[in-house]
Amino acid sequence: MRRVLLGVLTLLASAAWSDDITLPDYERVVLENGTVLLLSEKHEVPLIGLRAEVRGGSVADPVGKAGVAELLASVMQKGAGGRDAAAFASATANVGGRLTVSADVDSISVAAEFLSRDAELMIELVSDVLQEPTLAADELEKEQARAIGLIKAAKDGDPNALMANYAYAFIFGDHPYGRPTSGSEMSLADVSRDDLLTYYSENFGGDRLIISVVGDFDTAAMKARLTAEFGSWEPAAGALEEVPAPPKATGGRVLLIDKPGATQSYFWFGNVGVALDYPRRAELNLANTVFGARFTSMLVTELRVNAGLTYRARSVVDQRTQPGPVTVRSFTETSTTVEAIDLAISVLRRLQDKGLDDDMMVSARNYIMGQFPPRLETASSLARMLAFLELNGLDRSYIDEYGSELQAAAAESVALAISEVYPQPDDLVFVIIGDAATIRDEVAKYGEVTEMSITEPSFRVPPAD
Amino acid sequence: MAAMSLFTELRRRNVIKVALLYAAASWLLVWIVSHMVSGLGLSSWVSDYILLLLAIGFPVALIFAWVYEITPEGLKKGIDVDQTQSIVYKTGQKLNAALAVLAVLGVAAVIGEKLLPEFEPPPPVVLEEIPLKPVFDFSAKAAVPREITSFNLPNGLEIIVWPDHDIPNVVMYNFVRAGGRDEYPGITGIAHFFEHMMFNGTVARAQGDFDTEMEAAGGANNAYTSNDLTVYMDWFPRSALETIFELESDRLLNLAIDPDVVETERSTVYSERRLRIDNDNFGRLYEQVRATAYVAHPYQNPVIGWPSDIENWTQQDLEDFFKTYYAPNNLTMIFAGDVTPEEIYLLADQHLSPIPRQHPPPAITTVEPPQEGERRLLIETDAQTPLLHVAFHAGAEGEPETLHLELLLAILAEGTSSRLHQALVEEEQLLLNIGAWQSGGFDPGVAYFAMTLPPGGDPAAVEARLLGMLEDAATKGVTAEELEKARNLRLASFWRSLQTIDGKASVLGNYEVFTGDYENLFAVPEQLAAVTAADLQAVAAKVFRRNNMTVGVLRAPLEGESQ
Repeated sequence: MRRVLLGVLTLLASAAWSDDITLPDYERVVLENGTVLLLSEKHEVPLIGLRAEVRGGSVADPVGKAGVAELLASVMQKGAGGRDAAAFASATANVGGRLTVSADVDSISVAAEFLSRDAELMIELVSDVLQEPTLAADELEKEQARAIGLIKAAKDGDPNALMANYAYAFIFGDHPYGRPTSGSEMSLADVSRDDLLTYYSENFGGDRLIISVVGDFDTAAMKARLTAEFGSWEPAAGALEEVPAPPKATGGRVLLIDKPGATQSYFWFGNVGVALDYPRRAELNLANTVFGARFTSMLVTELRVNAGLTYRARSVVDQRTQPGPVTVRSFTETSTTVEAIDLAISVLRRLQDKGLDDDMMVSARNYIMGQFPPRLETASSLARMLAFLELNGLDRSYIDEYGSELQAAAAESVALAISEVYPQPDDLVFVIIGDAATIRDEVAKYGEVTEMSITEPSFRVPPAD
Repeated sequence: MAAMSLFTELRRRNVIKVALLYAAASWLLVWIVSHMVSGLGLSSWVSDYILLLLAIGFPVALIFAWVYEITPEGLKKGIDVDQTQSIVYKTGQKLNAALAVLAVLGVAAVIGEKLLPEFEPPPPVVLEEIPLKPVFDFSAKAAVPREITSFNLPNGLEIIVWPDHDIPNVVMYNFVRAGGRDEYPGITGIAHFFEHMMFNGTVARAQGDFDTEMEAAGGANNAYTSNDLTVYMDWFPRSALETIFELESDRLLNLAIDPDVVETERSTVYSERRLRIDNDNFGRLYEQVRATAYVAHPYQNPVIGWPSDIENWTQQDLEDFFKTYYAPNNLTMIFAGDVTPEEIYLLADQHLSPIPRQHPPPAITTVEPPQEGERRLLIETDAQTPLLHVAFHAGAEGEPETLHLELLLAILAEGTSSRLHQALVEEEQLLLNIGAWQSGGFDPGVAYFAMTLPPGGDPAAVEARLLGMLEDAATKGVTAEELEKARNLRLASFWRSLQTIDGKASVLGNYEVFTGDYENLFAVPEQLAAVTAADLQAVAAKVFRRNNMTVGVLRAPLEGESQ
């Protein structure tokens, strides 16, 4: 009897927790050629979100030619199947749809969103762009010139847009994570059509493909349609790029990028962090939420609210297949550059010394749980999440068990995560964009300074991408 | 024991009647509690836990009924009762009577519920100070979701609720009718500065407590300021609903404008200005082009404020501004998500009714005079890639011509298939990118074209091509296919905006504030269908004229040229 009662209790308790974070039901199908389909119906509005991921990404760029995957992604949209660039763009826009191809570190993805009445056409376009891109030489030339021009334009604009390129290059050096996905002015100039064709044949094929689709459709019909479209796609000719674990970067180094006349200095500091499979993910998320990932974070409170030194300050833990960087990021008026960096370092030290108290733990847990449901609210965001899980070898428990992992996390294991992930203050690598003439001498106290001009065509010294 | 005799024994011991009675009583109890929950604004966990207790009690009651018997001497174990003296039959009759009573009560409850009027909020108070202009006459009123409810508090605060129980979260948007438009020399940027001050402490709460309490309850917030509005957003789990009302009413009732905090916040706003404008070539040119396009109307001022004004607002300026513009009669609040109109009404009445109504803000009467001839400006600065911005005076939000222009701008510059992108970016490679939008609000805005040229690009050549293509639109119009594409782009974005509770709150509030009636939102599909190619050509001819144009160029100094 007691067992039955316990059973009833457990059942009801889990019902009471149904506000917890869980993924909706979805169907996973592996086709004979290795293509994985993920399907989930959602009928509130007549929209469909589709996400295709092709394993590979910018880590498969040839050495010295950073940006091949990114350029390929751009040119793939410039004509496919029987349509030239203009016809392809019109086909999507005419029905109010969206279709974009973009390169990431581990994959090239196609994101599409469209009215359910247009599913037939849009799936044809996704299929064409993946399996039959034209990759015309003149379209490559245009995209190449445009990509180089847009980097120059970004250098005239808000420097935040380029910080990642400089910082990743300086932290990861020759490791593939050190190469900018976007390429640099220098590396982009060297890319030829043969580079694109080689990349495409080695990295595109049915065995590399994940298609996730969520929205207003019938699963059986959608499955049949996608199977017919992709089930016979041949495998990629090359092997999947294996990324080695990057070594920790040597600390006490500064990269100073000179932007003469800048009235504000933009800074990042950090080192190599942890990978996606890091076991204490809930603890790490709690720690980073408190440290620098929400408005009442320690960083915002000190740098913005108390000191008025900046508009924004945050910490970012970028977890990838292999360890990505963990960085503190902010900006401040040129004259307070060192004051702001010193303050940010002291906040990092406080996190490492004191950890999280009980109030912080409860607050961070509520915050993470309270803010999560909207992230899975739309068809497109769900499609993206399902594809992300599949791409990284994770299953639905990664989401479904997250709430209980957060509940179970104790202050001691959070302290352990902090010590494992955040670099010690003497082990930091600094990247600063600002007016070098004014701040050059002051920032030398953080370590050996390497200086370059923002107009240089590469993101690293010596130039190489 | 055979199944039949088990059933007989269950009947004899009244176990089945007890089960029925228990179920009926539970149903009634849950019905009552759930009505109390929505009626009294109790948290929904109350009904969850009552359900839990009832479920635990169910097997207990059955076992109790099986084991015990009611006898004239009191409660005894069934096996201890002399079966010849058993009164289980009488007990059974009493149970039958109780069941009958419960059944009557249940039927009465259901009928009563049907007869009771649905929740009807008090009739809206007409706010004369807000220019109401329901401009769209549409037949598809049926398209307005019935679950949306709106009401006004006696102090003039307008509230609209859109229940949506898809996720256990809620979004609150508070539209404050205060923006750059309400400023004049000396206090430019004050609306935006107030957006910051609203997070900086009240008489009851120290600086930072607002965010600390909200985030600890699982909520997050943000705000933005535009030429017309300051808008506050809270995103939170349903469980934080009461906390949100406490926090929002506290800062509207008791805001502290601490002089020390004002000074720190000036620095933060300056940092924001350096980020968005001073260190960003786009921001620098945009600010100057708008300041040049308008000569009279306050739309000429940057929302973030001119630097000397940021430095010089006085304490009195801030207090006056707060009192006038953050009065309840100047606000519209939207709630979308896992809520009912009843509970929002009760919470709003409790927390927001005490805020006193104020005299309406002064009307903005300045009308920008028709432009007399084209205007030009040039910024010479460090720039690898020149920028060209072109602005034309256009219409206000909610006017039919504004919709026509929106569709025309989609045809001209939205996405890679648009006319200007195809010609200037793809075919002629004169540009790296082009964007176009219009900025109309309560008053007429501008149609704005922003272009980035490749290094060494010639702004004059691009300008000539742009004007030629705009003239084409005015003289030759657009094709039926182009119009259909623009309609589909807008229709898709209409549906996209309704995918999330955040999108629902945002679009509903914008339609309410700018057109005077949120129901106009649901006329979008019908309005789109009614637009003709001739409408687009007419608006092109009206707007794209040289005398109506301001041109801004930002580029590096030419070689050999003295600055």
